[in-house]
Amino acid sequence: MKKIVTLVLALAMLLCMAGVGAVAEAPITLRVWGAEEDQTYLAERIEAFKAAYPDYNFEIQLGVESESTAKDTILTDVQAAADVYAFASDQLPDLVKAGAIMDLTTLEPVLTQMTGKTLEDIKAANVAGAISAASYEDKLYAFPFASDGFFMFYDPDYISAEQAQSWDTLLDAADAAGMKVGMTLASGWYNACFFYGAGFSTVLNADGTTTIDWNGTSPDGISGVQVVKAMQAIAGHPAFMAVADGDISNQISGGKLAAVISGTWDTDLVAKVFGDDYMATKLPSMNIDGTVVPTRGVVSFKCIGVNGMSPMAPWGVVLADFLTNEESQVARFEARSIPPTNVAAAASEAVQSNKGVVGLTEAAEIGIVQTVGGKYWDPCASFGEQIAQGTIGSDDAAIQTALDQLVEGVNSPLS
Amino acid sequence: MKSKKALGIFSHNLLIAVLCVIWLIPIVWLLCMSFSSSPSMNTSTFFPKEWSLTFYQKLFQPDTVNQFPMWFMNTFKIAVATCIISTCFVLMVAYATSFGKFKARKPLMNVAVILNLFPGVLTMIAVYFTLRTFGLTNSHIGLTLVYSASSGLGYLICKGFFDTVPRALCEAARLDGCSEARIFAQIIIPTSKPIIVYTIINSFLAPWMDFVYAKMILNAGISEKYTVAVGLYKMLDKSLINNYFTIFCCGGILVSIPIAVLFFIMQKFYVEGITAGAVKG
Amino acid sequence: MTAIKNGVAGFFAALGSFFGSFFNAIARGDAFVKLSLIIWGAGYFKRKQYVKALLMTLLEVGVILFSVFFAMQYVPKFGTLGTVQMEQVLNMQTMQMEFNDFDNSFLILLFSLFSFVVWAVAIVVWMRNVVNAYALQQAAEAGEHINSFKEDLRTFIGEKFHVTLLSLPVLGIVVFTVVPILLLIFVAFTNYDQQHMPPNALFTWVGLNNFKSLFSSGGMTVTFGYAFVRVLGWTLVWSFFATLTTYFGGILMSLLLNSKKTRVPKLWRLLLVITIAVPQFVSLLLVRNFFSNGGIVNTICANIGLTGFLRDVGLISTSYIPFLTAPGWAHVMIILINIWIGVPYQMLIATGVLMNLPTDQLESARVDGANKFQTFRYITMPYLLQVTAPTLVTDFVKNINNFNVIYLLTDGVYTTTNQLMANSQAKEVDLLVTWLFNLTQNYYNYKMAAVIGIMVFIVCAVFTLIAFNFVIGGDKEGTYQ
Repeated sequence: MKKIVTLVLALAMLLCMAGVGAVAEAPITLRVWGAEEDQTYLAERIEAFKAAYPDYNFEIQLGVESESTAKDTILTDVQAAADVYAFASDQLPDLVKAGAIMDLTTLEPVLTQMTGKTLEDIKAANVAGAISAASYEDKLYAFPFASDGFFMFYDPDYISAEQAQSWDTLLDAADAAGMKVGMTLASGWYNACFFYGAGFSTVLNADGTTTIDWNGTSPDGISGVQVVKAMQAIAGHPAFMAVADGDISNQISGGKLAAVISGTWDTDLVAKVFGDDYMATKLPSMNIDGTVVPTRGVVSFKCIGVNGMSPMAPWGVVLADFLTNEESQVARFEARSIPPTNVAAAASEAVQSNKGVVGLTEAAEIGIVQTVGGKYWDPCASFGEQIAQGTIGSDDAAIQTALDQLVEGVNSPLS
Repeated sequence: MKSKKALGIFSHNLLIAVLCVIWLIPIVWLLCMSFSSSPSMNTSTFFPKEWSLTFYQKLFQPDTVNQFPMWFMNTFKIAVATCIISTCFVLMVAYATSFGKFKARKPLMNVAVILNLFPGVLTMIAVYFTLRTFGLTNSHIGLTLVYSASSGLGYLICKGFFDTVPRALCEAARLDGCSEARIFAQIIIPTSKPIIVYTIINSFLAPWMDFVYAKMILNAGISEKYTVAVGLYKMLDKSLINNYFTIFCCGGILVSIPIAVLFFIMQKFYVEGITAGAVKG
Repeated sequence: MTAIKNGVAGFFAALGSFFGSFFNAIARGDAFVKLSLIIWGAGYFKRKQYVKALLMTLLEVGVILFSVFFAMQYVPKFGTLGTVQMEQVLNMQTMQMEFNDFDNSFLILLFSLFSFVVWAVAIVVWMRNVVNAYALQQAAEAGEHINSFKEDLRTFIGEKFHVTLLSLPVLGIVVFTVVPILLLIFVAFTNYDQQHMPPNALFTWVGLNNFKSLFSSGGMTVTFGYAFVRVLGWTLVWSFFATLTTYFGGILMSLLLNSKKTRVPKLWRLLLVITIAVPQFVSLLLVRNFFSNGGIVNTICANIGLTGFLRDVGLISTSYIPFLTAPGWAHVMIILINIWIGVPYQMLIATGVLMNLPTDQLESARVDGANKFQTFRYITMPYLLQVTAPTLVTDFVKNINNFNVIYLLTDGVYTTTNQLMANSQAKEVDLLVTWLFNLTQNYYNYKMAAVIGIMVFIVCAVFTLIAFNFVIGGDKEGTYQ
């Protein structure tokens, strides 16, 4: 036993000494996280950043963290997360709640001193939707750099531009050609588009909970039951293929699809499978009891934020701004065909002529910026899966019960 | 009569062959996919449309996602270190609980049983913050500690083996004035080859298999530091699977080969060890 | 149950005698023994064991330093788990953010527990030390030989060899298993969740509230209990089938391979063992893509018309076979896939056991004219069962906590169609461990995860107790010695 004690103590002593370790005057060290696909591009831009501030000695480490999983990794240990990181805008509320992202207003003086820009300049430089997605309770938290919604790709060999306008004609045309139309239903990101189209909304409350009223009637006078019936009609069509979340790219390369709901990340793949004459457009409209109702896709953005618990946050803001300025966004578009949020960058001819961007822009014109909290996702994914598998049943009462349960799950208090 | 017997033998072996085929289908698929010429998964035919070695070459050309040679070295280093520490710990605990005659022996063993009943995944967060306090996150030393520090709890099979070692051997040595340490090192260890091999294989394999702890502890996003499991797991990320599925398969094959060879060579000892230990432990 | 009773009685008896000898030592010891209550080395110093005296005193100084400089930062805040919120200000001169000295509830809890463990050990050492000092005094009075430091050291490879052997492994277990488990137990009584996540926010004690919300049936929490019962049910069903199928599958497979009729048994065995050699995360992720809704198996089934047939008979309502995405299908597939992974392993074990089969019994059976089936029925099978039954119990517990198989096969693939399950972030195919893993990884709901973790422990403990007391009939240690 004595030996054990000695060892415990030895370790404890070491621990104490480690805690007292001195902080040395050192170069400005920053850690940056970006997606795998962005690594080469980011490395170049970081070199450009160093070149732009030659008077300072930077040590910038670039790491990999996908924008879609950034929140999960960051919230596990905020203090160990990168100083500057890219994330998808739907994670913003959770990041703010966890104190994992800097409120940019507190750091505006730094930004102005180092770059001469104010936050107003940032807001003016980017499209309004992006700014609102990067803001929470009217405070700007992050620098947007890319639009990231979903829209429809289709193959003009099977589907005409006119047929692509509505779900009914689209599915019939695909069926006639022996092809399928692929869409993810088991995700609250995708399946909300039907409800948004009917005029429903999602509200994020101050306490982090989400409120939806999809079991009622929307301001447009359409009931949730009607929307579900329209969804069931689409999902039940023989030409409709419900694709698991994340499996879309795989299904596109499978070659059985004539049209697919996806985003710019699949542009190159679609061009390969559908041929260079592929088309991209907004989501087809639904037919709800004789009325034509648009399907409003979700508009999200990718942003770069600064860690709220990083002592190096002031320099982080300067770097984050640099990585999202017009020059960087143009470079990113050239490297990855990702549509910029910077108004000037988005206006260039190269961007405007990119078909994926065109589709996204069309969808975004009628799209909704989705703000929801953590409890939204699982119930909605389950609901979409029930529609995909056709387990709800078609009578109004059953649909109403299913909607009530969905709403109860989403609206429930956190924890 | 003879032909009936021959038929019996034939059908018997046929049955085994069928079972083996069933067992090997996914592995064969893995092998086929790894020789595919397209980077994404082929869901329309079992065999690739075109055979090629392209992606084996790509596996050894590191890019921003794939650092396989580096991962392999990392995992190998961690596995060797884990293996040494774990094997020592397991043998030490097993010897002490099998041959020791101290009062706390039974209570300690009961505590070990209780500890084994708690789900390990839940203690991860505490282990993570303990390591972070010592500055050992994002380090291979930290990961080695995670795999090996608690390994003493897995002593039961080894103890079962030691329990079968004749006590007369030790008594004789003790009469000759041997210290306990010498009995352990010079009498027990040399007679325990099967169980040592078993322990070595098991502890060597752990770092190749685990991705949950590795993902949590190597969380700085520096892909050169990953282990094979984390690196390959990340290749199946939604945004990457389409470009990296075939490389994932190649990596899976290359990881499996050394393990299969290890198993094949050590199979005899492995079986002896686990049966002698598990059965009586 | 008697084993437990004896254990408990024995524990208290040992505790009693320990305290007895401690107070006896204080009462009867000389001045130096009493002094060693305050200065640990005093007793040894008196008996001229200078090195030991120095070491013990240094150890004492270590404990004190540890308490003052480390433990006191955390332990006093244990009652509240911290009160100071994090604040930060921008320093334009240094271009850095400056933080106040804020409290981190999680670290307070973790390091308080560490301190408690260290102190508990220190107290035992302190008491033992006094007892030892008194024993030395008695030895000296009786004129017996007093060990030199070298001789003391030598005991660590002699009669105290177990201490040498156990100290490092036990230290590892304490730091990496015991303290984390204690932490898990304590977290179940706090409100550590996404709204109370250190370091940005503090969490605090809430008593039994979390347990209540698991079991109470009212308001929204009803679904937590709802999901718990179903997840627990599947966990038990899974463990039962996973254990039995691989166990008997392994035995059958080894009998098949070890039969005299088998040609080239080594080759067959090698082929089967290859499946073990492929790491699980590779083989399982692969199998999951193999059976995915748009995967190769579905393509083949659609091509040969199986999908259409199943649709016609009403077994499926989708245009694919939902191997891993619909309840029922997924449950069966998971167990089948587990057979695929587990049987080769069990086969190796069973092969080893069969090799040790007592040949004299087989021989006498053959002489008695028993046929092959009878030999198998009355000799081989009972022997196998008797020898391997205890591993069934440990396998069952292992399967309750079998994280890898379920997580790798279903995470991100399976979406529940049961809204009430989804509302508490559970799936029909979740085991308790995968559920709690998701609660911590995606919802940071550590408090409920801790409660579920404790439930897992209780389930495992109850099962192990029952199995060992009634089925196997106690611990067989010693039978072989």
